[in-house]
Amino acid sequence: MSETRLYPGASKDERTSFPPYSAFDVPADLRELHGRYDVETTARRVRNFRYAHEWLMMIQGGWLATIPEVPVKTGLGKIIWEDAQSADQFGRRLPELRCGRRSMNASEVSNQGFADFIQAVAEPERPDLSIEKLTGAFDVLKPHLLRVYDRMQRETDQIADAPTIEILDDVMRRLRRHLAWGEDVLERLCDTDGKRERRRRRALALREKLESCGGVTGEISDESLRIH
Amino acid sequence: MKRFIEPDELARDSRFIRQSNALTTVLATLPDDVDAVVDVFEKFTPMIRDSVRGTPSQALYDEFGPAFSLALLNEPIRAGARGLKTRLKMRVHAIFVGELQALEGAGRSLWDFPDTPWDFKMNMARQCWDETRHVQIYEKLMDHVGASAGDYPESTFLFECACSDDPAMRVAGVNRGLEGLACDVFRDLIRYAEEIGDETMKQAVDYVLADELTHVRFGSEWVKAFTRDDPEHFKRTQDFRRQVDKQFSFGGSRSDRPDAPIRIAWEDRLEAGFSEEELRELAEISGDGPSPETLIEAARVLRERHLGEREGPKTRAAAAAKAMA
Repeated sequence: MSETRLYPGASKDERTSFPPYSAFDVPADLRELHGRYDVETTARRVRNFRYAHEWLMMIQGGWLATIPEVPVKTGLGKIIWEDAQSADQFGRRLPELRCGRRSMNASEVSNQGFADFIQAVAEPERPDLSIEKLTGAFDVLKPHLLRVYDRMQRETDQIADAPTIEILDDVMRRLRRHLAWGEDVLERLCDTDGKRERRRRRALALREKLESCGGVTGEISDESLRIH
Repeated sequence: MKRFIEPDELARDSRFIRQSNALTTVLATLPDDVDAVVDVFEKFTPMIRDSVRGTPSQALYDEFGPAFSLALLNEPIRAGARGLKTRLKMRVHAIFVGELQALEGAGRSLWDFPDTPWDFKMNMARQCWDETRHVQIYEKLMDHVGASAGDYPESTFLFECACSDDPAMRVAGVNRGLEGLACDVFRDLIRYAEEIGDETMKQAVDYVLADELTHVRFGSEWVKAFTRDDPEHFKRTQDFRRQVDKQFSFGGSRSDRPDAPIRIAWEDRLEAGFSEEELRELAEISGDGPSPETLIEAARVLRERHLGEREGPKTRAAAAAKAMA
């Protein structure tokens, strides 16, 4: 029988008398180690996510002035702040993922195709194009991000990468609110067959671009891209 | 989407009426002279008449003539003052459209300057949400005082003056010039709400004023950050801020003169980060321009002429004689 192990400098009579916890006292931790992404991959994906939210924030900021509907302006005002918070939270995770202290502002685009897709989302400018503006952000990009985050939340290491899971949880909660708002607004804006067709065609065109570049991380060629 | 837009590109729904910024621009540089004020308004009469046609302002135009805004705006908003109800509606409506332009200015700062530091973008994004709430608050306050969006013409003067293509000047114009003006206007409105015991208005505007102090602080910090190690750039930014402050004084209507309809809110501005020296300078540059007496006299002359035009040559002669007297 081995000697009782003690902290250095402690004597035998300093040992505590508390018994070990039994499995009945604390529910078992059913999570398992090992997820789909290692530290480097998670860091890269977080930089990709940050890129998407930073651009969403800037694009929606630009649109405020050229959208004529006052409730749409005010709705977007809050969404801009929430996208900024999402980008900020992703950025704050980066130094924890061995990216260095200066990495908090490091957005990174996955490939040129996704950068082009973002510029296509930003393209509509005229005041009569509110449908095209909102469709890009609320029918295509945000639903895509929600699916990718949902999947990552399930597939990353549930214990070791829990801080990323917590951030995704916050971001997804906001995204769901944005989608509900966007759907409501687009339903009202698209009050004729012609306008509904404009929405459908815009979404289709952007979705093709998104699929061809592999989405926000550049490597998604599965169900997470299919929205409707 | 292009970077930088012109003020006339600000999108509005069909309720709103756009008025040219030319009149406001000229007003900001007028001397203290009745004839000069009258001349300017007569020059702009067709534009003013067109911009109010079919709106609630048309009744004001019919009653007071092209200078109806002078007649109504150049007295403090105080209980029992002449034309108070209409002036209060016009004031709250003007703030509402000003908040819309501040929202648009903050949003454009995000899009127009993509390479600025992240903390700047965070501040501007937060300001978008704050300005959103201000628009919503003033929509409710318009209801509260019996006005609606589009009742009065909107000039995009605030956006035009404040939105420079240089980020340091943009924050100097929007966050220090425009938001500083907001501090003055809101303190005045709070004073009125306290005077009449309107707790709803007082509390709502006080929250808005608290936000504006934060926005001025954003401006003060970012002007310093954007011009660090570049004294020449800092000087140009200060000159731009002075020019905006001069324009936003509307020929002395917002100044530290005892008779100014809107006084400079010293305490609030100090809390927001303006220095005593900057405030003394603001008082100095905003103080010249037509006095309220000059503006009221000009408005009276213009009203007489307007009524004379409307009622025919006989009345016109009588009105002219009355005006001369």
